[in-house]
Amino acid sequence: MKRSPIVLAGTAVGLAGVLAYNTASSPAVVGASTGTAPVQSVSASASSTTPTAAKARTTTTTASTSTSKSTASSAAATASRTRSATGQDVSFQYGDLEVKVTKTGSRITEVSVVQANANDPHSQSIDQFALPELRQEAISAQSAKIDGVSGASYTSAAYEQSLQSALDKLA
Amino acid sequence: MTPTSKSTADVIFRHAETVMGTVVSFDIRPRGLPYERTRAALAAACDVLHRADDVFSLYRPASPLSRLRRGELTLADCPPEVSDVLGLCEQARELSDGWFDPWALAGGVDPTGLVKGWAAQDAAQVLQEAGVGAGMVNAAGDIVVFGQPSPTRFWRLGVRSAEDPDRLLCIVEGSRAVATSGNYERGEHVRDVRTGAAASAALSATVCGPDLAFADAFATGLLAAGEAGFEAVTHAGYEALIMLPGGGGVSTPEFPIFKGALK
Repeated sequence: MKRSPIVLAGTAVGLAGVLAYNTASSPAVVGASTGTAPVQSVSASASSTTPTAAKARTTTTTASTSTSKSTASSAAATASRTRSATGQDVSFQYGDLEVKVTKTGSRITEVSVVQANANDPHSQSIDQFALPELRQEAISAQSAKIDGVSGASYTSAAYEQSLQSALDKLA
Repeated sequence: MTPTSKSTADVIFRHAETVMGTVVSFDIRPRGLPYERTRAALAAACDVLHRADDVFSLYRPASPLSRLRRGELTLADCPPEVSDVLGLCEQARELSDGWFDPWALAGGVDPTGLVKGWAAQDAAQVLQEAGVGAGMVNAAGDIVVFGQPSPTRFWRLGVRSAEDPDRLLCIVEGSRAVATSGNYERGEHVRDVRTGAAASAALSATVCGPDLAFADAFATGLLAAGEAGFEAVTHAGYEALIMLPGGGGVSTPEFPIFKGALK
């Protein structure tokens, strides 16, 4: 228990150096609007031992480059909001993400993330080809595994309904 | 604790510990650490959480923190970690430009906005020092990780939508600590320190950075600060994303949203 303050002090002091390193070494993520996915983090992982060193550099600066459906409402919010120098509208590249829990019998065997609807350019291009099976295949190919879920604190009673609980029960 | 894979290289232990009025989830990749030592490390990590609960719970009238608030104990009478945590609270108050302030409201100091993150961070450190190769500790939505879940990728952590428990705002990758605060799970328990009213500048605030104690504190403060708190947070070396009451989100420039292929 007594270790933490020492570690924290070190973290605070060492941070400027870490950020400078990131700025110099991380490949910039460009073209978030294209719908294709720059896999900057995986490529960075080969040479990096600390996850913080692979921090993504987002270069998106305005809502206009966003492909997200969630900006339908955020665009309106942007117009009326006073922007600070540091904030930027978030480009949720995949738009609305839905978590899919797969069970085999009563056992949870997979928790993955899929795009929740097909309004974004990526899914529309899939639709052009779309036999229903083909589309299903394409969507399942986009599913990503997640390791944990961050959110406001739940009570022990609410935990059972949480996505983290599904992950904890993963076979 | 149940091993979920037989192969030595990628054994995964998952464990859910009921503590602090909630459930703390563990994902542990021993990477060669023997089973008994992994078990012992997990038990020690859980002890850290229970100890934090015993000392800092405001639901227990006899906890040292409760007694400190009532004036029955001085700080010197309390276990040493109380001073440690209050010291971190002072740092977090300063770094957040006062948006996180455990001393602001009546009733005595309330470090609740930082303690859970601090305890989970300490639990993860116990695992790491015991030789566990990689792991994740999720204290009811506030997450700290170390190592990598596989050689080819970093931990991927979904950020829950404030409006739908089964939807994610985004996936975060490459951050050691991720904390989210919101008033959507347990009612309006976070208050604006300047007004005393329920914090309402954001539906939720998610903060990423090197340490979960500070990430937790900053996320709490941003619920009241909204975008106005971004400068302090980035200055401290953290990144933030808030979900706005009118819909949509705003983040700091380098918030580590996962932009790789979803597969």
